[in-house]
Amino acid sequence: MIKVPDVNWLAIAPMMTLMVGAFVLLLLASFIRGRDRGLGTVVGLIALLASAGFAINLWSEPATTTMAGALQIDQLTQVVTVLIAGCGILTLLVAFGWNRMRENGGEFVALLLLIAAGMDLIAASNSFVTLFVALELFSLSLYVLCAFDGKSKASLESGFKYLVLGTIGSMVLVYGAAFFYGATGSFGFEAINTALSKAGSGDALVILGTVLVLIGLAFKIGVMPFHMWVADVYEGAPTSVTGFMSAATKIAAFVALARVLLDALPAMRDTWAPALIIIAVVTMILGNISALVQTNLKRMLAYASVGAAGFGLIAIILGGAAGTRGLIFYLAAYAPMAIGAFAVISLHERDHKGIATLDSIRGWGFDRPVAAVSMVVFLLGFAGFPLTVGFIGKFVVLGSAVEGNHAWLGVVAVVASVVSLGYLLRIILAMFDRGAKSGVMMAAAPGMGLLNLAIVLCLALVLVGGILPGLGLDWAADAAKSLAAGR
Amino acid sequence: MITISILIAVPAIAAVVLLVVPFARQAAGYLALLVSLAVLGGVIGFIYRFEPSAGYQFADNVSWIEPLGVRWHVAVNGVSLAMIAVTALITTCALGFALWAKRDRSHASAALILMTEAFLFLVFAARDLFAFYVGFEGMLIPLLVLLVVWGGAGRKFATLQVIAYTAFGALLMLLGILYLGLTAPNGPNFDMAAAIGRGGDWVFFAFAIAFAIKSPLFPLHGWVLPAYREASPEVAAVLSGVASKAGAFAFLAVLVPLFPAQAATYAWVFIALGTIGFLWGSLLAFRQRDGRGVVAYSSIAQMSFIVLGIFLLSDRGATGATFQMVNHALVSAALFLVVGWLETQVGSGSFSQLGGLARRRPVLATVSIILGMAALAVPGSSVFASEFLIMLGAFEYHWWLGVIVSLGVVLAAMYMLRWISAILHDRESGLAGTLNPLDLKQGALMAILPLVLVLIGLSIVPAQLTDRVDASAQALMSAAAEEAGR
Repeated sequence: MIKVPDVNWLAIAPMMTLMVGAFVLLLLASFIRGRDRGLGTVVGLIALLASAGFAINLWSEPATTTMAGALQIDQLTQVVTVLIAGCGILTLLVAFGWNRMRENGGEFVALLLLIAAGMDLIAASNSFVTLFVALELFSLSLYVLCAFDGKSKASLESGFKYLVLGTIGSMVLVYGAAFFYGATGSFGFEAINTALSKAGSGDALVILGTVLVLIGLAFKIGVMPFHMWVADVYEGAPTSVTGFMSAATKIAAFVALARVLLDALPAMRDTWAPALIIIAVVTMILGNISALVQTNLKRMLAYASVGAAGFGLIAIILGGAAGTRGLIFYLAAYAPMAIGAFAVISLHERDHKGIATLDSIRGWGFDRPVAAVSMVVFLLGFAGFPLTVGFIGKFVVLGSAVEGNHAWLGVVAVVASVVSLGYLLRIILAMFDRGAKSGVMMAAAPGMGLLNLAIVLCLALVLVGGILPGLGLDWAADAAKSLAAGR
Repeated sequence: MITISILIAVPAIAAVVLLVVPFARQAAGYLALLVSLAVLGGVIGFIYRFEPSAGYQFADNVSWIEPLGVRWHVAVNGVSLAMIAVTALITTCALGFALWAKRDRSHASAALILMTEAFLFLVFAARDLFAFYVGFEGMLIPLLVLLVVWGGAGRKFATLQVIAYTAFGALLMLLGILYLGLTAPNGPNFDMAAAIGRGGDWVFFAFAIAFAIKSPLFPLHGWVLPAYREASPEVAAVLSGVASKAGAFAFLAVLVPLFPAQAATYAWVFIALGTIGFLWGSLLAFRQRDGRGVVAYSSIAQMSFIVLGIFLLSDRGATGATFQMVNHALVSAALFLVVGWLETQVGSGSFSQLGGLARRRPVLATVSIILGMAALAVPGSSVFASEFLIMLGAFEYHWWLGVIVSLGVVLAAMYMLRWISAILHDRESGLAGTLNPLDLKQGALMAILPLVLVLIGLSIVPAQLTDRVDASAQALMSAAAEEAGR
């Protein structure tokens, strides 16, 4: 007789809502073909809002574990749930007017909900098994979403590349986890931590395990030298999906990394910290330099996103209360800028009926002043200019570096930021190129309003978060306490 | 109690309104001008209520970002108030000039100029390092867009240069600010008063490089020429008139009081660089073939001279530098507007296309000669008074420094006279010969005249300014002067 573990349904309500939403949608979608888009969007919005609502309700509850200790429901989980739900909602608004949504809107939204559920589960995972299952749940759905535009070769290529390289990353991760099981007899983060802090960190098995886990997660985050998939996948995926990926995937993968390194493997710090430092430095510099030579906007921002991931690593390396708070706030700050920037690219693609390049956006800023000015704000946010939320994110992460006596990492980040200005300015200069009038001005199409709404919402989030970030910083600090390092 | 925050808020709010509300073209320009006049009126009110011996005044100090220990702490002393006043004046004139020049998308251009003003006020009034940084780097945002959208043909390169240089400096400073703020005893505290004397050498240089780039101080002046050349005249006036003063002001009001020991130890570096920059800039100004080049290089020279004055770490140097900042702001802004006006009238700023413009253009000739005389520091002019103070300080420092600096002042006379003769007195040549004889009048004159009048006013009663800034400048300098044994 198998003993069924106790399930705290309320604690997992945020994830369950999303999954239920996804299945309901898949069922319904097969009955009412043709009106998928409206239905999918409405159900998706309801599920995401409900999931965020449940998470907010759970905010003041004490942290618990459920499902026989496989899931850890704490404030970090809730913050990630709300953030992912926010990313999902904005993505739905961006995607609404997209052609493919008209035909397969139901499936699109269902996949999106499954991804969100997977990401929430990652934040809640308390063992390598849960982590792997959650990772695969979101990854597999995301592969499909990347390849969603079946008529476009680029989209199929993007999905396929992501599938192959993502799977390699997952395999390596599982392989690493197996070593920990061999060495400590458990997959649970807490048990591994206890065993390692007793046994010491000298065991070759454990060191190998640490390296493999690190590589596996580095694939997911997309830091150098495991970033090869990022540019191709970002470029080929539907733009709304790309925006979602660069914001939400980064949140999920970084939280996974934080859970594993800071909760399960703090004893192995001497192994992973030096490696991460090298990865962070290389990624920040080379990621931004690679972006300099791109002309395709999505590729350019893909490399920018690689560079930003390198910057986020600083916070994990430093750990501690300041580092973990910095990490969570930085991830949250990055989301509206990334989704906003890709939403503007989406808008341009619809105006221009083609891909967005530095050439195609020449002079476009004068046709779409609101979107273009928003883009300027998002790009300056990436560079960390004051009054944008990106500045506060940069401020807290650099602050943790300075506080942790790693000011030199801060100097590297500063140099990388200056390099990043090179390509960010190229986009701004091209948009406001007086010499070339783009002249392509699409008539109002369905979904344009929602897309504009998404851009303006992102703009508002970026500016409000940049001017009055106090509340967000408090939440990030509370959530950071869920990690052992944040206490 | 009305505080200095209101001065920052009014142009900022007006800028947002102008950006969001679709005003008609003329209306937007006039509205912005009205706002800037109101701000100028407010500044005059503050000047009258200002108590020269009472230190920082009109303060606001409330919590801003609680978890980071950041406070909204703004206040002004004599030096900052002088800079705020000159900023308000130059902004008004710049907006007036933009109105006259009929810029396209005038609501956006006016909004961005007002936004720059707000950021500059924040730089001059901030007493919290975070707020200071927001102003210091934030002002790049409107200036960047102003350059990109309304700049000249070479604006791409110019923008890249400006942003790369200044952002690099600012980010270095950010690391320094983080260090000072986060290592404060009793938790994070970014207040300037709490940071005094706590920074080490690297923090000092992180700040110093940022300010040296902004000023600009030789050899970090590479971004200046393209920016001044490509910006539209009113933006160039704001850039060279007051945005660059943010750097020099920060040397005097942030770097020296916060790092008295390092300022005393490394003063010679800045004196040396200031001297080189002064001579180098003056020589290059002499070789330029167009008006903007002359004004740009003379700006580099003058800013180096001001930094030199600050790092003499003496009361005379500090007062002289403040006075000179105000004077140079007025002169360079007015010169850029005149040069820009000439470019729009003639179609070129090159000396080969100009010449003999004094004929049939009495107003232009008068304004140019007054400005030229002021710039070359004719005895009796306000610039003479301020340069004299700095030179006196230099002689006190060492007699040979005084001699070298005097040489630079002579060079200033040479390039200004060359400029005057090139545009006013040579034979009517090039495009200028074929022009219809339009003189400086109405709109453009109204934009330039206030600057000239204030300059004349300061020449007559310089004590109106020096009496108000003297005590503040000395207070900023006292700790470092003590360290330096002066």
